[in-house]
Amino acid sequence: MRRRVSELVNQDASLISRRCWSDAAVYELEKRGIFAKSWLFLGHESQIRSPGDFVQAYMCETPIILSRGQNGSLYANINSCSHRGLPVCRADHGNTKRFVCPYHNWSYTVEGDLVTIPQESEVLHKPDKSQLGLKRVPRLESWRGMIFGSFNEQIIPLEDYLGDMRFYLDAFFNRFPAGIEFMGAPQRWVINANWKLPVENQLGDVNHGAFLHSAIIPREAQDIIEKLGYSVVTTPGHGATFRLMPEGGPVDDVAWGMEAVGSIFGGDDVQNYLREIQARAAERVGDVRARMKGLTYGIYPNLSFLWSNTSFKVSHPRGPGKVEYWSWAVVPADAPDPIKRILRTNYSSFFGPAGILEQEDSEVWSQQFLGSNIDFADDRPYYYGLGVGEEVPHADFPGLVSVTANEFYARNFFTRWRDELQAVEDDL
Amino acid sequence: MSNVSLEVTPQQQRELERFYFHEARLLDNRQYLQWLALLSEDVRYLIPSRVNVPVDNRLRGQETMISVERELEGEDSMGCPLREENYLLLMLRAQRAYKINSWSEHPPARTRRMVGNIELMARQGDTLSVLTNFHLYYARPGNENVIYSGQRRDTLLSLAEGFRIARREVVLDYANIDLPTLGLFF
Repeated sequence: MRRRVSELVNQDASLISRRCWSDAAVYELEKRGIFAKSWLFLGHESQIRSPGDFVQAYMCETPIILSRGQNGSLYANINSCSHRGLPVCRADHGNTKRFVCPYHNWSYTVEGDLVTIPQESEVLHKPDKSQLGLKRVPRLESWRGMIFGSFNEQIIPLEDYLGDMRFYLDAFFNRFPAGIEFMGAPQRWVINANWKLPVENQLGDVNHGAFLHSAIIPREAQDIIEKLGYSVVTTPGHGATFRLMPEGGPVDDVAWGMEAVGSIFGGDDVQNYLREIQARAAERVGDVRARMKGLTYGIYPNLSFLWSNTSFKVSHPRGPGKVEYWSWAVVPADAPDPIKRILRTNYSSFFGPAGILEQEDSEVWSQQFLGSNIDFADDRPYYYGLGVGEEVPHADFPGLVSVTANEFYARNFFTRWRDELQAVEDDL
Repeated sequence: MSNVSLEVTPQQQRELERFYFHEARLLDNRQYLQWLALLSEDVRYLIPSRVNVPVDNRLRGQETMISVERELEGEDSMGCPLREENYLLLMLRAQRAYKINSWSEHPPARTRRMVGNIELMARQGDTLSVLTNFHLYYARPGNENVIYSGQRRDTLLSLAEGFRIARREVVLDYANIDLPTLGLFF
């Protein structure tokens, strides 16, 4: 790399170098400084309910098998055989007793232990199989069913890492009597973009909505966001945006899910179901959070939650200029199946690889990468200065709070990003 | 549905061909409003997700072990299909194409599709089950050119004014979704 990390992001992170998005050396630092050190989202417990259940996941570019062992505990292992490195699991999800490498049929339990080396009977010195299991992800913790792994053995507990974001996540999770569940395999697609832009977009950038998406999102929706919207940063890198609906307003204005197209077309059953959830929301999450109508959430480094269209998403890097974006539809766990099938379209109609809005996001994320990768513009870093210093504490909401046009969510992300890269830049 | 298509007269086959070629030309000419007129108002437009599933040992030796159906998460599944749309959503997509601020369509993609393997699989009164295959070439400034490939499983209504699409399920032949968008009319 031609320059120091301190030259990429200025002191208050109001200027962000184009090289942050496009430089291969920066990406190597991100792997070491961020993806090797953070809690990374792997999956939800609803995807692996029974012993032997598994799903695939990634930690940056490292392929992971997330599974439930025969004893009911969670396991995460790198999907690579100890013998010649092939993936031992090819299915997206399923239930199994063994993962078998195709090459020489070394086989592993669902917990990742090596149990069979077909060739060992022919040699005198038997390998120590207890040392040859799949490489285990050293830290694995789950909160509200959300499973995270970390390669950093010294990392702080997950609940501390999430910190005050739990207050905002619980506004959603605890709204439902039995919590939430993920529906099916993730939709996963490739975008020629840097991984951080989808993250930034979902961390707090609701201000592009009525502009980029103006063919679909009416100006009035933006007016409501400007009037009732909050942007919050709990810890640098974590953030939330939401609308706080007025007290005593109509239930249909505040109830989760009512504003999305699946519910609008879905008929009385689904609408009444959503009203009933809202009717008891204050009991479950308190008066203030019952009036919260979320927009976007971000959990550092690459997990996002889109409340309004109800999906969790992970931006998996595939080099500086490529993302494999994963997203899951999320529904209340105890909803009847027909209602779940309607609610998933609140996500898929507008988001995902066919989403009428998401296709516009994918387009601009790709184009931002082109702009970040051009020559002779390095003296023109991107302007991140909207609203510098205008965020303040709030009586009801933990963290620092501001209007949604304040780009402090992104500045906080990049100060943390800069500090974490600086900590490893001399290791290479 | 039987695995063998119905015997049809050359005239019947020609009518189906004429309908599908007309539809393809409307879509490639970006005449989406005219295309909407080919749909019945209670149309269901579906694209199942396609997942990699583990082999079921009990099915070994049988064709069903690797059947396409096992890979699909469709509207009746508890997975998440890529698209489950009605007339209003299709209309939203169609009308969006003619707005000056639909940024991901400006400039619009240049597409050309070949529709073939037209097979009438079943008929009940005025309701026909028809399979077609397609290859769709897609070129758009700023994107790599790509080819979409798939099968369409249609329910057509044969009305006095012509055929109307009452249901379309598009089985896309993708392994990884390394495509600019799945938001097209296939």
